[in-house]
Amino acid sequence: MVLLVLAARTAPAQGITVTVGPQFALASYREVASGLRYQGAGFGGGASARYRKLSAEASVVRLTLDPAAGGTATSGFTATEVDVWVAYDLAPYASVEAGFIRRTADPEFDAQSVGAVRIGARSFYEIGPGATVLFRANYLAAPKFSGGGHAGFSIDLGLGLDVRLAGRLHGTAGYTFQRINRKTNPGGTGEIDAPIQGTVARVGLAVGF
Amino acid sequence: MTRHLRALAWLVGFAAPATAGAQTVQNATLRRAQQAYDNLEYRQVVSLAQAALRERLTGAERARAYELLGFTYGALDSILRAVDAFKQVVLIDPERQLDPNRVSPKAYSAFDVALRQVLLVRQLRIDSTSFVGGRGAVPIRFTVTQPARVVTRVIGTGGGSYMIDSGAWNGQVNLSWPARLANGDPVPAGNYTVVVEARLGQNAFSASQPIRVSHGSVDTLPSLTSLPGYQYLPETEVPPQSWRPLGLAFLYTGGALVGTLGLESSSLGSSSKRELAVVGGAALVTGFVMTLRKPAPRPAAANILYNRLLRDQIARRNQDIAKENVARRQQVQLTLVPMAKPSGAGPR
Repeated sequence: MVLLVLAARTAPAQGITVTVGPQFALASYREVASGLRYQGAGFGGGASARYRKLSAEASVVRLTLDPAAGGTATSGFTATEVDVWVAYDLAPYASVEAGFIRRTADPEFDAQSVGAVRIGARSFYEIGPGATVLFRANYLAAPKFSGGGHAGFSIDLGLGLDVRLAGRLHGTAGYTFQRINRKTNPGGTGEIDAPIQGTVARVGLAVGF
Repeated sequence: MTRHLRALAWLVGFAAPATAGAQTVQNATLRRAQQAYDNLEYRQVVSLAQAALRERLTGAERARAYELLGFTYGALDSILRAVDAFKQVVLIDPERQLDPNRVSPKAYSAFDVALRQVLLVRQLRIDSTSFVGGRGAVPIRFTVTQPARVVTRVIGTGGGSYMIDSGAWNGQVNLSWPARLANGDPVPAGNYTVVVEARLGQNAFSASQPIRVSHGSVDTLPSLTSLPGYQYLPETEVPPQSWRPLGLAFLYTGGALVGTLGLESSSLGSSSKRELAVVGGAALVTGFVMTLRKPAPRPAAANILYNRLLRDQIARRNQDIAKENVARRQQVQLTLVPMAKPSGAGPR
């Protein structure tokens, strides 16, 4: 984070706009069956940069997920989500993007750790002075799971908001919905469905440079 | 009574021009002739004026003596003699002009006939002028009293002579001299004399006018910062307030909601909407606030194009001005001023 801030300070001279800031996150997570569900919150941070038509973002959030009420889960876990992507603007309101996501669970076997490449597009629109809203849809390609298995269909949807509150201070909000159709073959007895579904809301502040 | 008044006015008409020049007369006989004319003693005027002409007179006195004779013969209805006398007047003083409002019609017509019977170059006029070398000319005008071959030249003090015109002219003549050498360069600065020579058979007459030619630098043009009548337009415009921000927030949030609902796994059940409510709510509130706020200025494409055209036009004009200024710095501003005329004109 310190390196990002230092890099951000030198960016404006090269025509790059950079924002860096902390985030608070809410999350819910379901796996395999409807009973295995968790809810929690956490903190993290993110940084974004834009240079002409090229933009990039990286965020890290650490979530503490506890068994949700009425569920069958007995213990919670801590998840660390990393999300990195780069995008290229095709139009003043649309861009294509590519990146990767990685979510690791601690303790390791309490939930699936996932890594995948994300490829998709986003649409964004300035709805007012300094306020941009966006919607994105990504396909999660080549997902890898700590418990093995594969997923033929995985998707990641997002809703985002960036509002310049005052001067360099921005307010950010982001919603992510992930659906991963994981299939696994435990003990060679045949493939069974072990889907993963999660939602994360990130709300934060960012300082622009 | 009316006839007496008319006669008096007639006599005053003859008397007025004669008395006008009486103050310059030095010769006693001529003064007596003038006095006799003032007293309407015309017989005595003729004898005294002729006697004065046999004496030693200056040019002006001689012209005055002939003029007295001309007016007197006119008063005595001896028109042919009046014409002869006036011919002598204009040969001595070619620029002599009678005022038709102050002399009798008889005298004036006799003077006019006299003018047309002698070859003269009169009223040679060259006005002060200033122009860029090669882009103007010096207007020269004069009057030739008879059809004649007229040669107009400019003679420099160093001996250089430049032909302006050679042709057959009669009456008012208007010529223009570009003040250039044969190679196109402007004539050197200095004093010159414009000489007009008229020739008709054995008769010849010339008139001249000295002029001074001076050189100066040509003023350069200032660069343009704007075109008269054209102004830059604002390159941004504030769109009218609308519900568009809130509509877009609804659209994007709705997209996320529909996507979430549509993609939820049936085996995992309905997921929590808490996260979407937080972010979607924030988007809708932001959309509502932006709907109420004054919209952000946006680029006005037409104005930007217009301003670009205007800037290009001004740049092109300034390039032309720069080229023009380069040429102007190599040009010469010629200024011609007529100088005091020497008493060199006369029949040859």
